[in-house]
Amino acid sequence: MRILLSWLREHVEVTVPVETLAADLTEVGLAVDGIENIPGDAVLDIDVTTNRVDCMNVRGVAREVAVLYKTSLKPLDVTFAETGALASTALTVAIDAPDLCPRFCARVLDVKMGPSPPWLRERLEALGQRSISNIVDLTNYVMLELGQPTHAFDLAKIPGAALRVRWAREGESLQTLDGVERKLKASHGVVSGPEIGLALAGIMGGASSEIGDGTRTVALEAAYWDPLSIRRGARALGMHTEASHRFERGADPEGPVTALARFAHLLQKIGAGTTRPGLIDVHPAPRRTARLALRPERQRAVLGVDVPDAQRRQILAGLGFKGETPAIEVPSWRGDVSREIDLVEEVGRHYGINKIPSTLPPARRPGGLRPAQVLERRLRDVLVGAGLSEVVSYSFVSRADAGAVRLSNPLADNQPVLRTSLVDPGLTDVLRLNLSHGRRDVRIFEIGRVYQVREGQLPREDSRLAFLLSGTPARHWSEKARPADFFDGSGLVELLASAMGWSRPVFEKGNPEPILHSGRSAAVRTGGQQVGWVGALQPEFSKDLGLRQEAIVGELVLSELIAKAPAAERFATLPTQPGTSRDLSVVCDRGLPARDIESTVRGAAGRLLRDVMVSDRFEGGSLPAGKVSLTVTLRYQEKERTLTSEEVQESVSAVVTALKGRGAEIRGE
Amino acid sequence: MADSLEDLKARVRALKADFEAALGPAGDATGLQSVRDRFLGRKAGAVTALLKSLGGLADDARREAGRELNELKDDLEAKLEAAKTSLEAKAGALRLERESLDVTLPGRVPARGRRHPLVSTREALEDVFLSMGYEVYDGPEVEDDFHCFEALNMPPDHPARDMQDTFYVDVPGPSDLLLRTHTSSGQIRYMLENAHPPEVRIICPGKVYRRDNDITHSPMFQQIEGLVVGRGISVSDLKGTIEAFLHRLFGEKYPVRFRCSYFPYTEPSVEADLSCIVCDGKGCRVCKQTGWIEILGSGMVDPAVFEKVNEHLGRVVYDPEEVTGFAFGLGIDRVAMIRHGIDDIRLFYGGDLRFLEQFRG
Repeated sequence: MRILLSWLREHVEVTVPVETLAADLTEVGLAVDGIENIPGDAVLDIDVTTNRVDCMNVRGVAREVAVLYKTSLKPLDVTFAETGALASTALTVAIDAPDLCPRFCARVLDVKMGPSPPWLRERLEALGQRSISNIVDLTNYVMLELGQPTHAFDLAKIPGAALRVRWAREGESLQTLDGVERKLKASHGVVSGPEIGLALAGIMGGASSEIGDGTRTVALEAAYWDPLSIRRGARALGMHTEASHRFERGADPEGPVTALARFAHLLQKIGAGTTRPGLIDVHPAPRRTARLALRPERQRAVLGVDVPDAQRRQILAGLGFKGETPAIEVPSWRGDVSREIDLVEEVGRHYGINKIPSTLPPARRPGGLRPAQVLERRLRDVLVGAGLSEVVSYSFVSRADAGAVRLSNPLADNQPVLRTSLVDPGLTDVLRLNLSHGRRDVRIFEIGRVYQVREGQLPREDSRLAFLLSGTPARHWSEKARPADFFDGSGLVELLASAMGWSRPVFEKGNPEPILHSGRSAAVRTGGQQVGWVGALQPEFSKDLGLRQEAIVGELVLSELIAKAPAAERFATLPTQPGTSRDLSVVCDRGLPARDIESTVRGAAGRLLRDVMVSDRFEGGSLPAGKVSLTVTLRYQEKERTLTSEEVQESVSAVVTALKGRGAEIRGE
Repeated sequence: MADSLEDLKARVRALKADFEAALGPAGDATGLQSVRDRFLGRKAGAVTALLKSLGGLADDARREAGRELNELKDDLEAKLEAAKTSLEAKAGALRLERESLDVTLPGRVPARGRRHPLVSTREALEDVFLSMGYEVYDGPEVEDDFHCFEALNMPPDHPARDMQDTFYVDVPGPSDLLLRTHTSSGQIRYMLENAHPPEVRIICPGKVYRRDNDITHSPMFQQIEGLVVGRGISVSDLKGTIEAFLHRLFGEKYPVRFRCSYFPYTEPSVEADLSCIVCDGKGCRVCKQTGWIEILGSGMVDPAVFEKVNEHLGRVVYDPEEVTGFAFGLGIDRVAMIRHGIDDIRLFYGGDLRFLEQFRG
C-alpha cells in the first residue's frame, strides 16, 4: 500500500521526520518497506498484513499515526450541498441476496464529465494510478483515502433505473469493464438491472453501464459485501482487483455512508457536479456491534508486563474503541477484533513491543536429541570423515516406483512425483551435473526421506541413506589413480556398521535393483534383515552418463537401523600373551564365494582361532582357467598363555581338511 | 735396533710424522684399518717393531723408552679413534643429505567430505535450543489440511492461505493431503501426541514446500518451528528466548528488534529483525539499505489453536485460560544465506560440488 505523506498530513499532524515515522509504523505492524522521496513529498510503501484491511487507506494509517504520537485525527470534511429532485425518485435499489450484500448505499449525482484538476491527477499519479476522468478518479481517490470502493453506473444505462443485488444465474454472462466476457456461476454476485447483470458484485463493474464522456447522471454505489462470497467469486474467475482485495478481507460496514458523502464533497469541490438530495441505504442485515471484556490480569499474563490503565484507555480510544471492560465496543472498521486476545494485541502493539522486558522461561524438564537424531548426526560424521560430501535434493522427481505419491499441481511437468529412492533419480542427477562441470571424482551421500502411498493414511515416510562413489579421490603425485570399485562401496557399508554398532553386514550377490550391474551388486543384510543394496551402475547406464569409470551406488533404509541406540560396548580383558598367525593359499573355483571359505575356516578351526581374513587373491598365470587362489590369514590367540606350535598345527590341519572337503586345493601342501 | 734413548726418540718423532701423513688421506674404515695395521699391528706394526728393538738398552733407558712408546701407542690409538668418529659423522651427514626430500611437495591429505551447509546451519540452530532444554520433534512432510491449516486457525478460504501457495497430493483415499507449507504443523502434531499435563518445549526442523521458484524462493526449503507452552509464558519469554537464540547464533553485538505482525495462529504476532551482520546495521544490499535483516516470525499461540487441539482430543488439555505459549518459525536456508553470503537459494539443492566444497562442513 503506497501512502503519500502530504495526503497523510491532511488527516493527522506528523511532526517527526519521515524516517522516524516509517520506523514507528513498522514497529506497530505497518511495515514500511521503502520510502520514495519525490519533490516536496514522500511515498511510504507499507506492507499491510492481510488482517488489517482498515489500514489499506490513508485514513486508517493516519489513525495509527495519531495513536503513536498521542494526537487526534483531523476531522474529515464530508459537507456538501444537495440539489435537484430526491435521489429516490431517480433510482431504486433492492437486495435479493442479503447473505451476499448486507448493505447497499447509493447516491445520484449530476455530473460534468471531464479531466480531473491537476492536484487530483498528480496525487493519483504519484501513487502510480492512471488518471482517467474526473468521476473515475474520484472513485479511486475515495477508495485510497477511506478504503471504501465505490462504483459509478451511468444512470441512463440502468434499465428501468432500478438496481437489484442478486446471485448470478448459472451460466449467465457479463462483460466486465476490462472488456472480458465472463461466464458466471450461481456463486457469483451481481448488481443487476431487471434482467441482465450490470456489475460483478464487489469485484468489477460491467461494460454496459460504464460511464463515459456522454454521461450526465451517475448512480454511485457504495456497498458492504460478504467477504467470503467475494473471495470465492473472485477466485473462481481468477480475478483480483483493488475492490475485491478489500472486500474479501472485510471492509467497514459503516464505510459506504461516509465514502458517498466524501465523494459528494469532493465532487462539489472540483466543480464536477452536484448531488441530489437523499441517501439510498438498503440495509437488510445490520451489523451487531461487538462488545468485549479485557481483563487486566489476562493482559498481563499474555504481555508479561503491566500496562497502566490510563495508557490502555488512551490506546483503545485512539484506535476507535469505545466504553469500558467488560463492554468495550469494537469500531465497525475493525472486523479483525472479536476476542479479548485481539484487544490484548492492540494494547501491546501501541504500548511498544520493544518496551516489554525480556525474560527466559524456566526449563522444567531436560530436553535433548532422541536416539535416532543422535545416530543420524553420528552417521553423517562417519560419512564425512570417510570423504563423502553431503547433498540435499528435491523430494519431487521426474519418475518413481509404483506406489509413489503423485502431486496434483506440480511446479514443473517433469517433477510430478515424490521420490521412492534417493539414488536414481537423485544422486545420479548430481553425478551428471558434476560430470558436466568436468569433475571426475564424485563421492557423495544424501540422508533423506522417501515417500510411499498407504491406503487411507498419510503416506509412509522412510528415512534413507544413499551414497555414490565414482572416480579417484584427489590422486597424490606419488601414487597411481585407483578408481572406486564395488569394494569401496561394500567397504563403506562395513565401516558404517562398525562405527554405528550394527551387526556385521553380509553381502549377497544378486541384482536387487535394475539400475545395477548384475554381476557387481549385492543385497546388504545385517542382523538377518535386508537393509539395502550396493553395486556398480549398469554399464549401459554408465555409458549414457558419459562415465569413463564405474560408479558405485548404495542405499540403506535407516528407519530401523537408527531407531535404537546400540548398547554400550563391553570391555574384554586384554590378552597377556601375543598371538600367532598362519597363511594358507587356497585354490578353488572362481564361483565359490570368499565368505564360504571364511565360514569353512571358522567352522573347522576350533576355539583358538580369533580371526580369519582374505589377505591376497589372484587368478590367471599358472592357475587353470576358472580357478582362483586366495591367501587366507588365520590369527590364533589364547588370552593367558602362549600357544604351542602343535596345537596351532592341529587346527590348521583341521582347516585344510575341511577346505579340501569343499573342493579346494591347498598350495604348498 | 735402537742404539740409545736419543735415537729412539728421534725414531718416535719420525714415526709420528709418518703416522700423521698416513692418517690424513685415510677416507674410510678400510683406510683407517690399514693405517692401524701399519703402525699398531701386533705382528708387523711399526710401534711393535720399535718395542721389540729395545733389548739393547740399559734397564733405566729401557723403562723410559717403554713409557715413551706406550704413550705413543695411546696417542696413535686416540687419533685413530677420533678419525673414525669423524668419518662416521661425515658418512651419517652424507646419508641424511642423500635422503633429503622436497618438503614443499604436496602432502597426502586424507579424504574429507563436507556436511551440507544447510545441515551445518540446522545443527547449529538445534544446538542453541538443545542447550535451553528443547526437544527436537519430527513431523511428516506430507500432511493433511487439518494439521497444516485448519488447526492453525486457517479455515478454508482464509486469505492467509494465499501467502503459502500449496502443493496438493493426489493419492487414493484421503482427499485433503498436501506437502506441508510450514513446520508449524509440527506444533499441532506434538500437542496432539503429547496430551499430558501441558508443558511443551520443542523445535521442529524440517523440509517444507511452496509453489515458488526464483533466486530467493525454492519450491522446497527448510524451516525450524519452535513451540513453548506452559503456565505464565508471556511475550517477555518469547522476546528473551529469541534474543538469547539470535545472540548465541550470531553474536551478542548485533541488536535484535521486534515489530508487530500478523500470523493466523499467533496473537499477538511479532517478527524479529537482526541488525545486519554484513554492514553492522549501516545499510547495504543484503539488508536492502534498512540496516535490519528479517529473521523470524513468532507470536503468542492464538487461543483458537489450543481450542482446535482440545476439540480434536475431545477433552480440554490445553486450557487457554490456564496455559499460554509462544511459537516461532524461521527459515534455515535464509539463516545459512545470511551466514555465508549466498545469494541464490537454489544452489543448496543442486548438488554442485563447486558450491558444496566451499564450506568447511
